[in-house]
Amino acid sequence: MSVNKQKTAVNAAELIRNNSVPIMFIIICAVCIPLAGFSPSYLFNEIITRIGRNTFLILSLLIPVMAGMGLNFGMTLGAMAGEIGLILVCDWQIVGIPAMILAVIISLPIAVGLGLFCGRILNMARGREMITSYIMSFFINGIYQLVVLYMMGSIIPIKHSNIKLPRGYGIRNTVSLLRMRQKLDKLIPLKLFGADIPVMTFIIIAILCFFIIWFRKTKLGQDMRAVGQDMEVAKDSGINVERTRIISIVISTILADIGMVIYLQNMGNIATYSSHSQIGMFCIAALLVGGASVDRASIGNVFLGVTLFHMMFIVAPAAGARITGDSMIGEYFRVFVSYAVITIALVMYETKKRRARSRVGEQLKLEQGTGEEAA
Amino acid sequence: MSSGKKTIIIRMCLVLLLLVIAVICFITGRGHTVYFDNKAVDFSGETYPAVYKIEVKVNGEKAAKLYEDERGMADTMGQSFSMVVEMTKEKGDEPTAHAVSLSLPYSMDGIILNIPAMMAGLPPEAYLSEFVQAPEPEAEESEEVVTDEFVMEDL
Repeated sequence: MSVNKQKTAVNAAELIRNNSVPIMFIIICAVCIPLAGFSPSYLFNEIITRIGRNTFLILSLLIPVMAGMGLNFGMTLGAMAGEIGLILVCDWQIVGIPAMILAVIISLPIAVGLGLFCGRILNMARGREMITSYIMSFFINGIYQLVVLYMMGSIIPIKHSNIKLPRGYGIRNTVSLLRMRQKLDKLIPLKLFGADIPVMTFIIIAILCFFIIWFRKTKLGQDMRAVGQDMEVAKDSGINVERTRIISIVISTILADIGMVIYLQNMGNIATYSSHSQIGMFCIAALLVGGASVDRASIGNVFLGVTLFHMMFIVAPAAGARITGDSMIGEYFRVFVSYAVITIALVMYETKKRRARSRVGEQLKLEQGTGEEAA
Repeated sequence: MSSGKKTIIIRMCLVLLLLVIAVICFITGRGHTVYFDNKAVDFSGETYPAVYKIEVKVNGEKAAKLYEDERGMADTMGQSFSMVVEMTKEKGDEPTAHAVSLSLPYSMDGIILNIPAMMAGLPPEAYLSEFVQAPEPEAEESEEVVTDEFVMEDL
């Protein structure tokens, strides 16, 4: 009986240790929600909107994790491609759902190109994929700014003055997507508990979830999992490791591209020079809040993460304002927490890895000792 | 057929399909802003006066209610445009409703429709013209912001 109790206690401790980040966030939300004083219908509406807006982008991170490439900070590259597509479509005065489809089609080759480039670079920096992709996002951001700030309007024709800077070339800080705003979300109108449910966006997210589940079972998906577990073993078993890793990044970049178009249609405007820069960080933070780690992430982690992370985003400023009388504290708190969560998750991952390694070492030592004794 | 050739053909078909979808989106997704004018117009030496009141319905919803010399607008997608015009010629008259369908020119972002001229059965050049936005005033030169970033001399 006592052995059973001990086992249960150990299992509970293990469960808490493995899910410490989501548990921490559940506690934060549980404390902040009553302090913020928002009505349940308001919170429900906000959460539903944010789930629709962000989930596709976060799902784009799953495939590189599966291939053992960690959290793809390079998803920003796909987001930039999506923005370029939207800017062009906006200048051509294409509106509504066709505008979204056209933006995705235009940006697709850019996303594929950037994904190929990113994948190749990451193959050269094996073991340091995350920091490499993070720095690469800054590098590509420089090129993006060159294109958007100097080439658009001078080399790439941009006709409309409401998009172009007054000097005649370059794109304004904000591009309005008013005639595209929430067209996808409101394609199938549904109101539930006072909240507008973005049915079509949820259908697209569901399709992507099924695609990811199906993809895991395909030959390529199995190869990616094998590569993610052990590259050397995968190579010995005849898998083209480098190609598999590149494909995972290309798929992630394409999904990020589509995700960014969905995200911006919900927002209704593009912050030309900053929309993409924070997106990678917030998506990764949301995934980690859902209990994912660098080498393990599931669809469940995505949904839990997006709900908890954005719940904190909604309630933290109001709770901060209620406690301190200054809403800036709450603003600061949510940004601080998103960076902190990434740090904690990375530290925990590294600690776990080292602990596992030392456990294996000890076991080997023990086995060697018993072998020598027997001899 | 070898599998390599088959793959190339499938990929080319996919690219072609995407191109076809892009072209369809490009044509059907073109947005226009249609402006409705209730103003007098001169055509072939004849004057067509504005009427007392015009109500325009687009997709069953009221888009504009115009008295003399007023302008209304509606956003639309695609090249075919349908509306219902309810015209009251004089105050106290019964309004008469007319369903109107017309094809909008692709190249124009903003299109002005002069409703009295259109209802009088005049040709498109009499009632349809392009809306040209007033040029933006010259932006004042912004003050140069001086920062010490990348200034290596101080090091």
